[in-house]
Amino acid sequence: MIFNSLPFLVFVAIFIPLYFALKGRARLLLALAGSYLFYGWWDWRFLSLIAISTLVDFWVGAAVYKEQDEKRRKRLLLLSMVVNLGFLGFFKYFDFFIASFVELLQSFGLQPSVSTLGIILPVGISFYTFQSMSYTIDIYRRKLEPEHDLVKFATFVAFWPQLVAGPIVRASDFLPQFRSDHPFEWDRFTKGSAQVLWGFFKKVAIADSLAPIVDQCFSDPMSFGSVNLYIAVFFYSFQIYCDFSGYSDIAIGFARMLGFDFPANFRTPYFSKNFSEFWTRWHISLSSWLRDYLYIPLGGNRHGTAKTYRNLMLTMLLGGLWHGANWTFVFWGWLHGMYLVVQRLFSNVWTGTMRTLRAPGWLNAGLSILLVYLFTNLAWVFFRSPDFATAAAVLQNMASLEGFTVAQIMNKFLVAKGVLLIGFLLLVEISDFRFNYSQLVVRQPVFRLASFAVLLWLIAFFGTFNSNAFIYFQF
Amino acid sequence: MNPGGKKILWVFAFLVVTFTGDRIGGALLESIVSQSKFRFSRLYRGEAGCDLLFMGNSRGLIFYQPYIEEKTGLQTCNLSYNAMPMSLATVLLEDYLDNNKAPRKLILDISMLDTRMDENLSTGFNCYTPYSARLRNFLKARFPKAYYGGRVSHLYRYNNEVFQRALFYWKKSDKDWLLDRVITPTLQERVKEEGPFLFNFTDEMLADLKAVVDTYREKGVEVALVVNPYYPPFAKKIANLDELIAAIEKATGLTVHNYADSIAGTEGFGDYQHLNKTGSRQYLDLLIKDGILPVSDSFGFSEGGEH
Repeated sequence: MIFNSLPFLVFVAIFIPLYFALKGRARLLLALAGSYLFYGWWDWRFLSLIAISTLVDFWVGAAVYKEQDEKRRKRLLLLSMVVNLGFLGFFKYFDFFIASFVELLQSFGLQPSVSTLGIILPVGISFYTFQSMSYTIDIYRRKLEPEHDLVKFATFVAFWPQLVAGPIVRASDFLPQFRSDHPFEWDRFTKGSAQVLWGFFKKVAIADSLAPIVDQCFSDPMSFGSVNLYIAVFFYSFQIYCDFSGYSDIAIGFARMLGFDFPANFRTPYFSKNFSEFWTRWHISLSSWLRDYLYIPLGGNRHGTAKTYRNLMLTMLLGGLWHGANWTFVFWGWLHGMYLVVQRLFSNVWTGTMRTLRAPGWLNAGLSILLVYLFTNLAWVFFRSPDFATAAAVLQNMASLEGFTVAQIMNKFLVAKGVLLIGFLLLVEISDFRFNYSQLVVRQPVFRLASFAVLLWLIAFFGTFNSNAFIYFQF
Repeated sequence: MNPGGKKILWVFAFLVVTFTGDRIGGALLESIVSQSKFRFSRLYRGEAGCDLLFMGNSRGLIFYQPYIEEKTGLQTCNLSYNAMPMSLATVLLEDYLDNNKAPRKLILDISMLDTRMDENLSTGFNCYTPYSARLRNFLKARFPKAYYGGRVSHLYRYNNEVFQRALFYWKKSDKDWLLDRVITPTLQERVKEEGPFLFNFTDEMLADLKAVVDTYREKGVEVALVVNPYYPPFAKKIANLDELIAAIEKATGLTVHNYADSIAGTEGFGDYQHLNKTGSRQYLDLLIKDGILPVSDSFGFSEGGEH
């Protein structure tokens, strides 16, 4: 089920009243059944993967906790890794590696008779796999006690608001919240609803309005004047932001309505002044997961400069690969790794130059934000392109400046609508940053009522209602 | 008041505010549409009367009205719109006759008869449903979600590009709407890589076209069917144009005037399928020369000009 679809509206209309009508175990069972229905609506066969991951990690978690022998503990953890990463590797990467291997052999003039299996990628597998793995790793590190109730644990793995596209919630944050009864709270319910509406606005009004321009230009980049490619890349940066952060807002909002608090997944990332900051503002649940379960175990920045750079590159490369089975994602990760390395190498030069030029703070900050945004956009070109040839065509056309005139702009009305909506988004985000507008919405019922109405009007007037799937579903 | 009562009041206030705002917003936007100088607003106001009426998709926009009026001395109205499907064109042309005096001649570019045209464009005409029962019935039958969405929320009725254009042309004429760019060298090169282009037309489209032709001819309107020019290397890629023309001639009994390959060079084209202003002028001169575009009987005499 996807959030912006009719079946989902029917689902929540039944699920939420029933959820608050029930208590204790019955409510927990409803949450689990609802989550499995939510997922199974797409393809019920893949529920078996979630169920196996759940059972294995539930059992491994308990066994690791009891086991005192370090070697056996390690073996148990390895079992969890093999099962989880095995599913992920097979369903997400098997065909990719086979195809890459065949291409490699072909480049040497060989003609291997190996074919891919045409495996269907289970929706959200990267998200629930990482979520479930964090549970066993934290128990192994003795940071978490195992959950003794299988239904609670299964609900933690499959909880529908964040099952298919995150945020990736840690067991240590989520499982303790099951201790509360979560009675219906009007205030929490309306705050959650406001966040859900804001998420829907970002998805159906902004992201889906920008999508046609982006899709058109990336499907055939050489067919349009370069001005259109600049617009498409600019639009894509906001499409993916609004699509993904919109999903996160909806997920966090629904969880809040049901009584759960999830951490924020985005914090105005395009206002970052450097790339380290960017990764503390963009897809926070993934970047913090990678930091805690990959970068730091690799040694982090504790073993000298060279190893720090290696660890950064490895983490970002794997972060790129996590997004999808395509070398363009790996390259996107590589680029971000390079950005982090180069930033560490030259941050002193930058600071020194700004000091020498006596640049005022606002200029320094503005230039930093602009540079980070532009380089992020360069990386997005590879992230959005289905292959390197498309990315090269986009960049080649942009560099040529051929057809860089107003007259060459395609779909001027869609472009104008996109610019207007991006302007509105930035206005809201800046005013929220400066005046804490969202707190006003949280505290003042009148503002909340007005926000609800305004968002509904904006969705009606700007929304795209053709049930476009969220971009991050494919990951 | 107890907390439960306050919550009920809050929900009630929310519903009232949301509904009222939607209706007020809808009424405001409707007033813009009804006053706009955009072609369809004029059509439904009954202010689109003309001598020469044009219809087509984006390729129909090359009937550049200021130049035609200058050269023929006749009043024009162009109902063409990007990706206009034949089904919607039929509704609009019939509504034209209901609201305006019959024109002297209807000129229609037949490249609308293609399934590539955007059927969903019809939902954009939701903003004109208050003025046309025919359009309402058409949307209700073909796009019920969009139609009923527009009934529930009046703001949703204006959630489309057609409204945005009505807003853009609120106070100014839309007669100048035409591409003003020249096909890029890259695009010129790429035409060699293009595969064959096929018109995907259906019996329903042919029936719609026949119905329009018959209706207009019954009203004494002369009808001309044309194929507007394509970028010549691209025109050569069209594999079944003759088949389309034959099917249309058989269905309507009219001759289709084929200008697909009539404009040479690159300067007159915005892309493969569209002339720009320069190319449009060359093409319109050709239509005048061939008598497809008539010239006013009295045109020029008042100024002492010659014919």
